[in-house]
Amino acid sequence: MTTMSAPAAEVKAPPPKDDGREKGSFQGWLVILLAVVFGGLLAAVELTLGPAIAANKRNETLSRIPELISVPAADSQKLDIQPLAIPVTRDGKTTTYRVYRADRDKHPAGWVIQATGQGYADRIEILLGLSPDVASITGLFVLEQKETPGLGNKIAAIPWRSQFNGKPTGQALEVIKGGATQASQIDAITGATISSRSVAAIVNRVTADLRDRLAAEAGKEAS
Amino acid sequence: MNGGPTASQRFFLGILPENPVYRQMLGMCSTLAVTNNIQAAVTMAAAVLFVLVCANLIISLIRHWLTPYLRIVIFTLTIATFVTVADRALAAFVYPMSKMLGPYIPLIIVNCIIICRCEVCAAKQGPITAVADAAGQSLGFGLALVSLAAVRELLGSGMWFGSRVLPEAWPDWVIMVLPPGAFLTFGLLMGLVNWFTARRAGKEGA
Amino acid sequence: MTDDTLQIQPAPQPSGPVTDVAPSPHLADSGQTTRAMMVDVLVALIPVVCSALYFFRWHAVRQMAICLAVCLAAEAVFSAMRGRRPPLADGSAAVTGIILALSLPATAPWYAAAIGSLVAIGIGKSIFGGLGMNLFNPAMVGRAFVMISFAGALGAAGYQDPQSQIDIMTRATPLTAFQQSGVVASLADLFRGSTNGSLGETSALACLIGGLYLCLRRTAAWRIPASMLAAATVIALLDTGLSPHGWTVLHHLFGGALLFGAFFIATDPVSSPLTHRGQMIFGAGIGAWVMLIRIFSGYPEGVMFAVLLMNGFTPLINRWTIPTPFGGRLNR
Repeated sequence: MTTMSAPAAEVKAPPPKDDGREKGSFQGWLVILLAVVFGGLLAAVELTLGPAIAANKRNETLSRIPELISVPAADSQKLDIQPLAIPVTRDGKTTTYRVYRADRDKHPAGWVIQATGQGYADRIEILLGLSPDVASITGLFVLEQKETPGLGNKIAAIPWRSQFNGKPTGQALEVIKGGATQASQIDAITGATISSRSVAAIVNRVTADLRDRLAAEAGKEAS
Repeated sequence: MNGGPTASQRFFLGILPENPVYRQMLGMCSTLAVTNNIQAAVTMAAAVLFVLVCANLIISLIRHWLTPYLRIVIFTLTIATFVTVADRALAAFVYPMSKMLGPYIPLIIVNCIIICRCEVCAAKQGPITAVADAAGQSLGFGLALVSLAAVRELLGSGMWFGSRVLPEAWPDWVIMVLPPGAFLTFGLLMGLVNWFTARRAGKEGA
Repeated sequence: MTDDTLQIQPAPQPSGPVTDVAPSPHLADSGQTTRAMMVDVLVALIPVVCSALYFFRWHAVRQMAICLAVCLAAEAVFSAMRGRRPPLADGSAAVTGIILALSLPATAPWYAAAIGSLVAIGIGKSIFGGLGMNLFNPAMVGRAFVMISFAGALGAAGYQDPQSQIDIMTRATPLTAFQQSGVVASLADLFRGSTNGSLGETSALACLIGGLYLCLRRTAAWRIPASMLAAATVIALLDTGLSPHGWTVLHHLFGGALLFGAFFIATDPVSSPLTHRGQMIFGAGIGAWVMLIRIFSGYPEGVMFAVLLMNGFTPLINRWTIPTPFGGRLNR
């Protein structure tokens, strides 16, 4: 309409082709159409695969529980695992621990606690297995770590982490360089003392924070 | 077809003469990040193959309705959809691998190789050529990734596909599985590819 | 052409021979051939090599033999691949080999020395185009590669060998002992070199003798070690002043690889700046980084990383410090 009123000399070139404009408005519809189709596709994918993904995420932790509380993998079906969230307030800061309570034939089989702490390179996330009476450690597994390859990442290897099995929870574990002799001592990885101490510190924090809480919980069931 | 290479030409161009990694130097982020073992490299290449074939096919089918100012939106929309499908499928079927690759599967959305192929080939040529192009480029990408990963996994952990191939006495060159190893290996392999290309072209080898 | 129009004249051509005036360094100085410089460095290394042989005996012999042999062989092979006659005669590969050997612990396994040498010459030097073109100090490139690769054997804990016949090798290095258990080494031991550590770094005395020789011969730019040690001293003063812990400024200077690095590694003419002001900045940067790494990082020592880091800054420092010619204007 502006072209009609303007003098002929000032008329600017019209859009290259008329169908280009039509194409443009059609393209708007194309984007909407594609968005709807793709949205539907994604919804279908999510509906189909969502449960499997959720199960994978759950199993990542759950599948470790039998070995952490010294239950043979064959018997893992008999375990009744119940996730709990236990908030602990210490020095004014509240940490909520994710705790798995495992029962076997209605009897407590052990506890598995998920905990994180600062390592040498990044956060370390562990699973700690405790005996039903919370008196000793039954297993340790490293879920996440980014420690130095070749040195600190040995915290995730079985030879080192199996040292924790059977350690008492009553006193804080101590990391020793070369030749741990006492029950409450852990050998440091050569050249990775900081990573070793980090894991021990997480374990110590968990046992200090949760020992009494879980023992009370277990006693409540027994009575 | 309105000119441009044919389907078979497109396919073979992608593998070496226009290899996305060694010749176009596209998709560097994932190339450097996921090549510390062969399995991760193969998974990544498979995900790219799936996304690229789907995206190229769809874009090629609707190419007559594309206009310059909205095409990038449509490319991104299409790519993002198939990347999400690939990401969810990996998480559902190969969860440990999905966890290992972490953000690099979602990051395929911003991988230049795919948007480049949509723009260069799929938006201009028919669906058969577009799919052949996607397959060729993905194979080229996979070849580059696996060649890098083969060197890095062998030297860095003495293994291929996660099983030991070098004797136990082999001292792992840890640097090779770390980021510096990716840059060093990539540089050396690209030098090697250039050297072979130069020799084949009859020039004096550099 | 009339007189009143402005004429654009071509630049006047000099009629006679021109005297080129340029600020130092005068690279064409015929007295300073590469070969002469390298021979000087090797001569300066004699006291350091002697102390290494005295304290570490055959461990030092083995390390130097491997590094020398592999460095020379790699130089010959890579030069041949690039179609050049092997420039072994200039001695630069030998210097790289000896310096790399002296920067390794006595306990370092043979493959670490061999791979380090191969990487030093191959990736550190040949890939950039050979001597004079490399951005980073080749010996330190090789050492960084093996140190990251074999962190267990070459990291702080790798220096100790409880079974060793040589007494000092059974102990932790002074810097590690201090960082991990707060044990302060005796200054006399650090000065003489009767402590554990990389082969060439332990004896402050030997490094000082060789280093002063290099500086007096003008083979090494004295500004680099001087500014490096000055910067390290300032930060050490701050550190010990703020929290006295027995590890004095002199411990910082004599302990670890600070002196060896200041005189023999940082002064590599290829990878350090050309201008005087640039050399001061470069040296000070290395000194500061060494101290920051020692005090704040998990590593007990930081000379290698500090040198590599400042090598990366060298082209930039060269550009910042282009000297203004006499009578010229600042035109940047």
